[in-house]
Amino acid sequence: MRRLLDFLIAKRHWFLFLLLELLSFVLIYRSNAYQQSVMLSTANVMTANIVSLAGSVTSYINLRDRNRALIERNGQLEIELLRMQRRIEMMAADTTSFHGFAGGSPEDHFPYDVIISKVVNNSVTYLSNYITIDKGRNDGISPDMGVVSENGVVGIVSTVSDHYSVVMPLLNPKSRLSCKVLGSSYFGSMSWDGRSTQYAKLDELPRHVEFKEGDTIVTSGFSAIFPEGIMVGYVSSFERQRDDNFYSLTVRLTTDFHRLSSVMVIRNFRQSEQIQVEQEARSNG
Amino acid sequence: MVNIVRSLLYFVLLVLVQILILNNIHFLRLVTPLLYIYFIIKLPTGYSSVRVTCLSFLLGLVMDMLSNTPGMHAAACTLAGFARPYIINVLMRENLPENTIPSFRTFGYGNFVRFALLFVILHHVALFVIESLTLFDPLFLAIRILGSIAMTTAFICVAESFNRRTRKNED
Repeated sequence: MRRLLDFLIAKRHWFLFLLLELLSFVLIYRSNAYQQSVMLSTANVMTANIVSLAGSVTSYINLRDRNRALIERNGQLEIELLRMQRRIEMMAADTTSFHGFAGGSPEDHFPYDVIISKVVNNSVTYLSNYITIDKGRNDGISPDMGVVSENGVVGIVSTVSDHYSVVMPLLNPKSRLSCKVLGSSYFGSMSWDGRSTQYAKLDELPRHVEFKEGDTIVTSGFSAIFPEGIMVGYVSSFERQRDDNFYSLTVRLTTDFHRLSSVMVIRNFRQSEQIQVEQEARSNG
Repeated sequence: MVNIVRSLLYFVLLVLVQILILNNIHFLRLVTPLLYIYFIIKLPTGYSSVRVTCLSFLLGLVMDMLSNTPGMHAAACTLAGFARPYIINVLMRENLPENTIPSFRTFGYGNFVRFALLFVILHHVALFVIESLTLFDPLFLAIRILGSIAMTTAFICVAESFNRRTRKNED
């Protein structure tokens, strides 16, 4: 007995080592579940304050480029608005009985609004990347909301604390996004292969969908997270998958994840309703 | 007492430098230097194995909290910290004075670089292999490991030579 105790005491650093490694791996595997702990992430107020230090400095550095991008985007939207107005006017002039927008305002059919928020921490070098933003539960953010930048889709909110949230961007092997080729209604699933921050893969697109290199990829709107038609990227190359019935596309992302400084969180007022109805359908079926 | 204050200073300084500056370096979009393990390298050799392992785990845990990677840095740091006394034993079999801090002066250039290199290799291989559990791609993994090892070791040597100069000025 005494010798056993002596042995245990002599080798205590081995036991400590094994214990700590075990603890680390518990953390690793628990975080692979979809929700990671708020305590041990940058959504924690203390750590978020530290990392936002860096964010507040770097957000000034590329202000000029940001401004230019915003002005360009603004111009595009203005042109689009004019085109739409013109089309509505033409339709109204052409037909005496146009009911397209009758019966309630267009807002009724568009249950989304956005929350502007600043990026305080951003990683692109790891395999599993995360972005921290400075809006949280108190600002109306909850998990599973979509996040976009002015250039396109960024990711989906994964963890929320009172004042901060952690976003899982497209640059994370765990993220999946339902996308389609603009103009068609067949959709595929977008994921990231961990290599370049500029490209992602769109799989499971049926083979009979017609497209060519340079075509636009947008969100499909099926997930209740993003509205339909938000910019994701352009087709850069494609190949058939092994089973030959699907295409696998390489997509050049329009979002530059290296220089995100402000993002918009999309809130869908009817998301919970849609999810509830879908769950009911599944349990009935 | 001096050692504790020095270690605490190293800890805070290295974590801040790593989070605020070095994590933004993505050389060729592949390689990021992980200088923060310099803290474990600079712990006095007089510290017990238990103490070094605990401090390494703590360092890894703090890094994890700040970079949203629960457990990864902690696991790699614990392994490296645990192996540190053995690496020192293998390299410096001859009489090392009690309670020295590893540096160019105490270890000699060759041995310090060898020590740092072995330590970095152990830490990085563990870290990147754990990280790639989510996504396995051998060639990409090998490039990332080799690049990061080279970069981190270079950073450690640079930090060490700056360290030496200031120490001399004080003397």
